[in-house]
Amino acid sequence: MNIFESLKSALRNLMSNKMRSFLTMLGIIIGIASVIMITSIGAGSRAAITSEFDKLGVGLLTIQMKGSNDAKLRDFLTLDDVELIKKHPEVKNVTPYFEAWGASIKLKNPKEEKSGYIIGINEEYRFMVPPDLLYGRFIIESDCKAKSKVVVIDEVLAEKVFGRKDVVGETITVRLWRGNLKFTVIGVTKNSNAALESIMGAEMPSALYMPIQTVMDIYLVDYLDYIYVSVKDPEKIDQTAIELNKMLEMKHRNEDAYYIRSLMDEIEMINQVLGYITAFISFVAGISLFVGGIGVMNIMLVTVTERTREIGIRKSLGAKNKDIRKQFLIEAVILTVIGGIIGIIAGFLGGSLVGMLMDVTPKVSLFSILVTVGVSSLVGIIAGVYPANKAAKLDPIEALRYE
Amino acid sequence: MIKVESLNKIYENGRIQVAALKNINLTVSQGEFVAIMGASGSGKSTLMNILGCLDRANSGKYFLEQVDVSSLNDDELAKIRNLKIGFVFQAFNLLPKLTALENVELPMIYAGAKHKERREKALAALDKVGLSDRVLHLPNELSGGQKQRVAIARALVNSPSILLADEPTGNLDSKSSEEIMGIFQKLNDEGVTIVMVTHEPEIAHHTKRIVTFKDGEIITDKFVDNPIRVGGDAL
Repeated sequence: MNIFESLKSALRNLMSNKMRSFLTMLGIIIGIASVIMITSIGAGSRAAITSEFDKLGVGLLTIQMKGSNDAKLRDFLTLDDVELIKKHPEVKNVTPYFEAWGASIKLKNPKEEKSGYIIGINEEYRFMVPPDLLYGRFIIESDCKAKSKVVVIDEVLAEKVFGRKDVVGETITVRLWRGNLKFTVIGVTKNSNAALESIMGAEMPSALYMPIQTVMDIYLVDYLDYIYVSVKDPEKIDQTAIELNKMLEMKHRNEDAYYIRSLMDEIEMINQVLGYITAFISFVAGISLFVGGIGVMNIMLVTVTERTREIGIRKSLGAKNKDIRKQFLIEAVILTVIGGIIGIIAGFLGGSLVGMLMDVTPKVSLFSILVTVGVSSLVGIIAGVYPANKAAKLDPIEALRYE
Repeated sequence: MIKVESLNKIYENGRIQVAALKNINLTVSQGEFVAIMGASGSGKSTLMNILGCLDRANSGKYFLEQVDVSSLNDDELAKIRNLKIGFVFQAFNLLPKLTALENVELPMIYAGAKHKERREKALAALDKVGLSDRVLHLPNELSGGQKQRVAIARALVNSPSILLADEPTGNLDSKSSEEIMGIFQKLNDEGVTIVMVTHEPEIAHHTKRIVTFKDGEIITDKFVDNPIRVGGDAL
């Protein structure tokens, strides 16, 4: 019996039991659809995050002290280090970065406060992470030099404090560890927490951008959390990172004291985490595929029993054991492959729907389609082998007597 | 054509052993038309199953066209069933979802024949049993006699050496039985060797030789003096 005849005969049998075939397929459809949906959303999110980072430019380095137990005071990063790094020929921009939590901003009603955090940066920050300014300007060199009490806030905070957005020139009061301090608003940006807030469903603390020198004066410190560096040639970023590390080690007379990560490393790390999450959820979805496979096997066993007499007739007419085995195996594989194809389509549609709600463009790769088709045929073969063998081994006389 | 020597078949049912065939010797030559008779449990169906290569004897030899069938494996037996043997059953055993034509084509599918050849031969076989106007009907649209004629066409379509019929008229009224026996006689006239199990003496007398079984042994084996010819013309 050639493969074409087997296919025709299998399709005819499946079509004669449409409802049963469909319900059996449904298990596979749901399994495949959920896997496709999750992987496409996962791949879409990764692409979205990568492109978000791409906007910041690929040539960005983060320098941080390792801060191990035996870290010494002389290891801390300072503003002098910023000046030192500027001297490297590959460096385009450098900014110190200091973050302080626990700030409370007085609202319209002075008894109410909104929590926030202070970020100290210099005038080059705006070239490295371009702010979405609505009004006014960002921190410039003179603000830093004069240690001005100026601040850049976002529209949400402006709205909360003043009831409007264009508040350049106004004064806000921030309660810090050393009491209330007043700052002049020089710029208003778009809501910087929009993405996070839509996911978390809660209001996030507001960021207050200030000149680094101002912040250091307030907090009485002279060390930094990070130094951000942008390089001229992203191709040479790894070499530049090594050289900057050496410069810092020479200046601080230490070894192995700093992490220098490129943005690419961070993207890779986030992608890795997302990959794990996607893999885990896909695994859970894969369990439903497994359950679907059991459904196929179950129905194939029922079919074999129902068609015992047919098997006897076919054997009496000269069907070999392998012909019978092939017939049932092909039926199982057709069920799972068609189920798989419908599942891919359903998963793609479901992914697009969820993607629309999450504002992510789902990505279905050819690879994932090939893998799912492969997996569903494999499920069919595995689910079909046992029933098909059972059918093939039936004794023709017993089978012919079966009522 | 068919030669069995010292054939024994024992069924084991728990601790009880039942000898279904005891030391059977039988020869059927080319062109014969043999009826096998006997009460149920006499061993006639067991012999048919062995002759039809659906079952194996416990001991003894079975030669089909000089080939020692008792030494063949499952696949080789399937091939013999496909090409050398045509089965006709009491219950017709047509596949209910296939048309008459497709049922007749089935043995040729397993023989690996091409589509066009299958169609031509199946139509010819259906024509031979007088069903050329029913080829696209499903079995449940056919009468008992018509179903059995489809089964005969299916049995003949690979031009087997021998036609084995197990109570072919058992489910038919007397008129249809008569028709079926007429077809068998016509086929036999054309040289087809037929072995048929029946328990009806009237039907058995349409054949040329009657072998009677009792308790797994052959008790009589004689030629029919004056077979009943369907259509009245006695031989």
